[in-house]
Amino acid sequence: MGSALENYVNQVRTLSAAGSYRELADELPESLSLLVRNWSILDNVLETLDMQQHTLGVLYVLLGKLHSAATANPEPMQIIELMREFVQRSNLDQLRYAVCPFYETCHLFTDFLVQHNLSILGIKVLSLAIDQIRQMETQLTPIHADLCQLSLKAKNFNLILPYLDTDITDISTVAAECKNQQQQQPQHTLDANNDAKYFLLYYYYGGMIYTAIKNYERALYFFEVCITTPAMAMSHIMLEAYKKFLMVSLIVEGKIAYIPKNTQVIGRFMKPLASHYHDLVNVYGNSSSEELRIIILKYSEAFTRDNNMGLAKQVATSLYKRNIQRLTKTFLTLSLSDVASRVQLPSAAEAERYILNMIKSGEIFASINQKDGMVLFKDDPEQYNLPDMFLNVQTNITQVLDLVKQINKMEEEIILNPMYVKKSLGSQDDDLASQHPKTYSGDPTD
Amino acid sequence: MQQDKYNDKLNRLQNEELENIAPGVEVYHQLMAIYLYQNKLANAKFLWMRIANNLKEQNKELAQLNLLNLALQHNNYADFFKHIKYEWSETNRPIIDDLLAKQREELFNLTSTAYVSIYEQNLMEMAQMTAEELHNACSDWTREQDGDKRILLPKMKEPTPRVASDDQLLKLTEFVSFLEN
Repeated sequence: MGSALENYVNQVRTLSAAGSYRELADELPESLSLLVRNWSILDNVLETLDMQQHTLGVLYVLLGKLHSAATANPEPMQIIELMREFVQRSNLDQLRYAVCPFYETCHLFTDFLVQHNLSILGIKVLSLAIDQIRQMETQLTPIHADLCQLSLKAKNFNLILPYLDTDITDISTVAAECKNQQQQQPQHTLDANNDAKYFLLYYYYGGMIYTAIKNYERALYFFEVCITTPAMAMSHIMLEAYKKFLMVSLIVEGKIAYIPKNTQVIGRFMKPLASHYHDLVNVYGNSSSEELRIIILKYSEAFTRDNNMGLAKQVATSLYKRNIQRLTKTFLTLSLSDVASRVQLPSAAEAERYILNMIKSGEIFASINQKDGMVLFKDDPEQYNLPDMFLNVQTNITQVLDLVKQINKMEEEIILNPMYVKKSLGSQDDDLASQHPKTYSGDPTD
Repeated sequence: MQQDKYNDKLNRLQNEELENIAPGVEVYHQLMAIYLYQNKLANAKFLWMRIANNLKEQNKELAQLNLLNLALQHNNYADFFKHIKYEWSETNRPIIDDLLAKQREELFNLTSTAYVSIYEQNLMEMAQMTAEELHNACSDWTREQDGDKRILLPKMKEPTPRVASDDQLLKLTEFVSFLEN
């Protein structure tokens, strides 16, 4: 047994020294089962390898360690330290030859931390890992989903938010990486099937994180991406995202947000499975807080099972606010007790509290007169003549212009893509042949 | 620029939290206080959720900070000003003092925009101030007598006009010259 491992070390050393990383990367996967079997002496192997020079070799030892974690039960701190050192010191050029195993290592590492309840310690490690492996800032890697999961588990969103805030323009998937390197490795085909999973998970977790910090607009966007991903069959992730999507869209817009038409999956599979949530949407449309309260109570078991009870309560609060907002459109002044009875709040004092909070957050413009217990609803005082507003408009314009540039650039890339050219030219020929007589006869100038 | 005052410290503390298996209670104290000061209530909420239970039970000051956090989340000024009267430890005191000053100012700004008139008694309860203190804090507001209760008519603060910076002027001139051509 020992000699087999010695072979492994020698192989790594000679091939690394010769700089034939491609060859090494192709051969190492075969040794993985050997490493897993010899989990007890992997530390000795590590001692003989250098993270900088033998990055690939160390990567597979790590992978072996994580694969055998269930039987070996290693000291969690030691694994974390190893991973931290590895992402800090590994050699990126070598790592590029083994992107797929690197992703796999990160996934296993995440599972390991979640099992040991140490999620918070992995956040930094994985964020470093993403910074290293991604080719540009706007690239989504499968590790993103892991980082989201750890952040959610640890309830710590400081590091993940910058990643979520950048718009994604490119996706790194295991399938694509394997194709790039012309690797045909049996154990990775399984992982390649998970590409969709990690993509969906990223948007699902991301939406949850944004919901947690009450950035509902962005959360809605994330859930939308998740549920509108083209698919033939429904993923369970999509169903859960759809449930949350419905609730968040009630909070943001008061109705179901617009869903692009190309998603038959929603109508066919998700709607019947999320019937409770559709009932909720319908009741919300009646604007009656009392009915909404009853239906939330009625379905509370289902909501609790889906872990959506907190969100349901937010929906209830948002209806009170929306009803108050609606009042401002009809009335100029209204007594506090009238407000309370119209939006079905228990007392005038409660209504005053709601109104005060809404004034504070800028959702309505009003002033309260405690002397005669009246509320004066006002118009938006913004007159669009202040430098602040100018700055606001300016930044928005810049953002839109950047977006246009980005779209143009991506369109250019597609137009120049030989596959696309071939396809579009081919179909154009068909079109010309079949449609020619029709357009000719339908021409009004004829 | 006030917000930036604690940013360096915040970054340092956040890193410390991410790298230690069980950060000291001091770290949590200061993180919590700074989050509250910067009005990052969501962060404060999740910080409280991830603090280990035994720390929560043993440490009175931490619990007190969480009371502040809860009061702010529910926009409950009366509770907030009640709970902030506490013997804070030396490290937290400066942050808490800043927090108090900031919230006071916010409360008075809010009342002046949100109320045409407010009973003195109500405001005293909200700000947890004596009549004397309140009188000093808003001396320019008009007072009226309504039966045996006193009523305050807050005065709207004039928004301070901001001078456009050179940068903005530059953009404006660019824009105008673009339109002219």
